[in-house]
Amino acid sequence: MFQNRTEGLALVLPAAVFIAVLFLFPVGILLSEGFKVGGEWSLAGYADFVSKPLNRTVFFRTLKLGFLVAFVSAIIGYATAFCIVNLEPAQRGRVFGLIILPLMISPVARTYAWIVILGRTGIVNKAIVGMGLSDSPIRFLFTETAVFIGLLQLFMPLMIVSLISAMENLPKDAIPAARVLGASWLQVFTKVILPLTREGLVLGGTLVFTGALTAYITPAILGGSKVLMLETLLYQRVNVSNDYVSAGIIATILIVMCFGANVVLRRVAKA
Amino acid sequence: MKYLLPVCAGLMLASTSTFAKDKLTISVYSFAQDAYKEALYDPFEEICDCDLVIETGNSVERMAKIEANAAKPVIDMAVISSHDALALARKGLLQTLDTSKLSSFNDLYEAAKNPLGDNTAVGYTFYASSIVYRSDLVDIKSWADLLKPEVAGRVSLPNITGTQGPLTLHMLNQALGHKGIDFTKTIDAVAENADNIVTFYSRSSELAQLMQQEEVIAAPLGRFAWSRFSGSDLPFKWAEPAEGQTGGMNVMLMTKGNGNEELAYKFMDYWLSTEVQTRIAMAKIDSPANMKVEVPADVADSLTYGAELINSLNMISPADIIDNRDAWVEQWNNKVIK
Repeated sequence: MFQNRTEGLALVLPAAVFIAVLFLFPVGILLSEGFKVGGEWSLAGYADFVSKPLNRTVFFRTLKLGFLVAFVSAIIGYATAFCIVNLEPAQRGRVFGLIILPLMISPVARTYAWIVILGRTGIVNKAIVGMGLSDSPIRFLFTETAVFIGLLQLFMPLMIVSLISAMENLPKDAIPAARVLGASWLQVFTKVILPLTREGLVLGGTLVFTGALTAYITPAILGGSKVLMLETLLYQRVNVSNDYVSAGIIATILIVMCFGANVVLRRVAKA
Repeated sequence: MKYLLPVCAGLMLASTSTFAKDKLTISVYSFAQDAYKEALYDPFEEICDCDLVIETGNSVERMAKIEANAAKPVIDMAVISSHDALALARKGLLQTLDTSKLSSFNDLYEAAKNPLGDNTAVGYTFYASSIVYRSDLVDIKSWADLLKPEVAGRVSLPNITGTQGPLTLHMLNQALGHKGIDFTKTIDAVAENADNIVTFYSRSSELAQLMQQEEVIAAPLGRFAWSRFSGSDLPFKWAEPAEGQTGGMNVMLMTKGNGNEELAYKFMDYWLSTEVQTRIAMAKIDSPANMKVEVPADVADSLTYGAELINSLNMISPADIIDNRDAWVEQWNNKVIK
């Protein structure tokens, strides 16, 4: 397309300089804080961070909720995507629009809605008490369950969209052929759909997992300080303790987890 | 034509020098800034014929800025909690105040005159802290009632990292029969009841919402946020516990070597004056530290007002907070948050 490489590089240069100066350089400075103790390069900050039970608890909680949100999103996402790709084109457009719509609404508004829905006087508790499943309202707010529900609602559309895109590329005869040959629906899913849509799953899984790991608003509102996650802990370290060493460490851990998730998902998909 | 450019440049320079105003940079809490503008900033700018540059943010951000620019201060004057002010004073970042330049100094409550003990700050507002509760659902007569079975699962406590957190521990400590500022046993008691506490809130607005939707029926609160509850349709009541009310004070200070001392003194003097303190109190922004301020009963109800109440507040000294806060947070994180 270009006469020589120089032209291509020249076009990329402004964006590359912009990213390097205004993003990579500041992020590098922030992350380097975690490797300094008293101005000297050291890993003591990491050792200290890992030695604290609260930090370990928060790390594993973040990992667990990120995994659960991605896993449940994938299960619901496959079912939803399968239904949508089999709709008539006009209906598919409308339903696809409904899936996309929540992504256009502020996460703050969506998360605040859960405070009302999951509260003692909210619709969920009214239904539970009304159906006689419990004598008194159940406390959902400020629990891991609330954070899980909030994150799932926030990021599941990304998984569904990724899987719809992957399923649209599925050969139309593949599933009927498998069924004619006697495959059960479980076998159709594991032997046909899953292998042929794994790129979509990797993409959706990465988006949902990294989104759940790094979301701040939802854990802050629905979990508060009782259900700290790495991102709310990071905020606390910077804005309450002015502790940039811990903040740098947490940011590094989050970045490594995000890249790690993508690598692991790609390997699982290849396997 | 050839003289046009120099003449214009000369006129611009002249006009700039003629109309250049003195500038005072202040660092304040970000709440109620519109009300402060009307009651304090705009009237002062008219009087001094100067420009106020207002910097807002949370305490940590504002303190970090003062510290980072210690060699060449970018903030002339700041208002902050008394214990945060002490942390700055201990780092040598504050200027000793010449209180003779504050004409209203003698009108201040005694506790506000030299709260840090080294004349680096003067108090400009007090706040009481007690417990707000739903009087139709529960009766609160002691700080220890926050941990009683009747409110289990319906109570919220302030987070230890905020201003109200240590105050609550201080009063719980006394209610549970412990002396001094060793909160270990009280933090243990809170940890035992952690599952019965809905959340550890960070902002009074967050608590107001939880109490409005009946998620929480009792929680410690600063009086400055009482107006969020007093106007509600729900029967909220301000507790008067047997151990008394706690509270705190916010102070004004001047950064060391800011070079703008005269204007800073004028502004501080204006803010502490009976006229301005009354105006701020009438707007229910801040409670007065000036004894001469008089407000009607309905306004006083929203404030921490009057010598009897202020002198009765069971406060923790700023030094105790600064010396022990890290240990409290550490214990809290290990035992309560887990």
